[in-house]
Formats: sequence, C-alpha cells, structure tokens
Amino acid sequence: MKKTMSDYELIELFVKGEQSCFDELIRRHKNKVFAYISLYIRDQALAEDLFQDTFLKVIQSVKSGKYYDNGKFISWVMRIAHNLIIDHFRRVKQLNTVSNDDYESDLFNSRKLAEANIEDHLIKRQIQKDIRKLISELPDDQREVVILRHYSGLSFKEIADITDVSINTALGRMRYALINMRKMMEEKKISLTFN
Amino acid sequence: MALTSTPFLSYHEIQVENIDIYEDAFGFCQEFSDVINLLEQLKPVPKKRLTKRLIERVRQMN
Repeated sequence: MKKTMSDYELIELFVKGEQSCFDELIRRHKNKVFAYISLYIRDQALAEDLFQDTFLKVIQSVKSGKYYDNGKFISWVMRIAHNLIIDHFRRVKQLNTVSNDDYESDLFNSRKLAEANIEDHLIKRQIQKDIRKLISELPDDQREVVILRHYSGLSFKEIADITDVSINTALGRMRYALINMRKMMEEKKISLTFN
Repeated sequence: MALTSTPFLSYHEIQVENIDIYEDAFGFCQEFSDVINLLEQLKPVPKKRLTKRLIERVRQMN
C-alpha cells in the first residue's frame, strides 16, 4: 500500500503520526542520497553521519512546516544534503584540517567475499576504485552534475535547480565531464573489463 | 501478397521511465556509452545497519 503512495502522501501521513511512512521514504530515497554524499566525502564515517543528518534535518523541516509539495521531494532532500556537505567543507576550511582518510571499502554492495569468485571480486573492486578516482579528479562543477545525474537519478531540470544554473549550463558541464572522463580513461588505460 | 506492417505502439507502451528529455536530446547515452557503462559499475549503497540505525533514530525523535 505505502509503496504505491506518492512522497507527499507519505509526508502528510507521517506528520499526522504515521511513523512507518517516513521509513518508506527512507527506503525509497536512501540510495540516491547516500550515493551523492559518499562520492563527495571520502571519510566513510563522516559520510554516514551526513547521510543520517540529512534525513533528520528533513524531519525537522517537515515538522516545522517548511516543506511545500511541488512534486520535487527528492530534489529538496538533495538540496539539504548539498547544503550539509558545503557546511562541512566550510567547517574543515575554518579548522584548516584536511581529511586523508583513504576509504574504499564496503560501499559497493558487492556479494560477500566468501561467496564470490575472489578474482572477479578483486577486479570489480579495482574498477570501482578507478571510477571513484575518475570522478574525484573532475572539476567540482562537473563532478556534481555527474553524481546528481548518474548516482542520484535527478533530471537535468532538477540538477539545474539544485546547483542554481541553467539547464544548458548543467548539460554543458555534463558534456565536459564525459569528455574529460573519457580522456582520463584513455590515459589511465581504464576499460570495462568486468561485467 | 505478403503484407508487412509496422505495429503501432500505444501511449502506455512507450518507455519513458528514467528518460531525461534533455539528456536524450543531447545524445549523451549514444555518444558516451563507454563512459556511462563504466559509471554504472559503481553502485554506492548504504549498509543495512546504517539504514536500520537511521530508522531507529527517526523513531526516537518522535
């Protein structure tokens, strides 16, 4: 029943006290939000904190009546995540600290090592590591469009809204990002060797 | 005479889910299929325990 309800219907019921409706919203959107945050924040523990903070902030805003439905619940959630990431980088800049945590594990939803062919697993892990590196080497504005489109599944209209640029600019950034990634793939000899 | 005809698709049979009209118009999927296929190999998802912990925290808030 809840699976067929719109985001707004779920929010309305949640505000009226139906707790399980927010559980459904989390299940529905968790991957998009987590992908966005985890591809920006290298420190896994911090990414997990920001992931939780995003949904907790959503609840605070919904309960204080700050959410008005325009059919774009996920765009609004992503904007909250976006602002939390920016706040984090501002804080880091103020403290003048840089995180060097090299994180690469457990994010890939892969089968357990014991069950998988070890060689395939290692190849897959290497490819995933290479992809993360490719994305991280893009200029900020291009990286953001790639993550929001490919990992958070937002439309270009929604991306343009979140990043405060025109749709044409967002499309242009995507084109440059794809060209740059192809160039890097060729330079680093990265190819799709595992499927 | 063997007649062949193109079957008509009804409106509901046209697959538009997950299609972005701007992206479609710019032809990114065709032009950059190699890069896009590579990007699709990465699927970051939160661990189950993280989602469970989040749901617990949300319940505690209420």
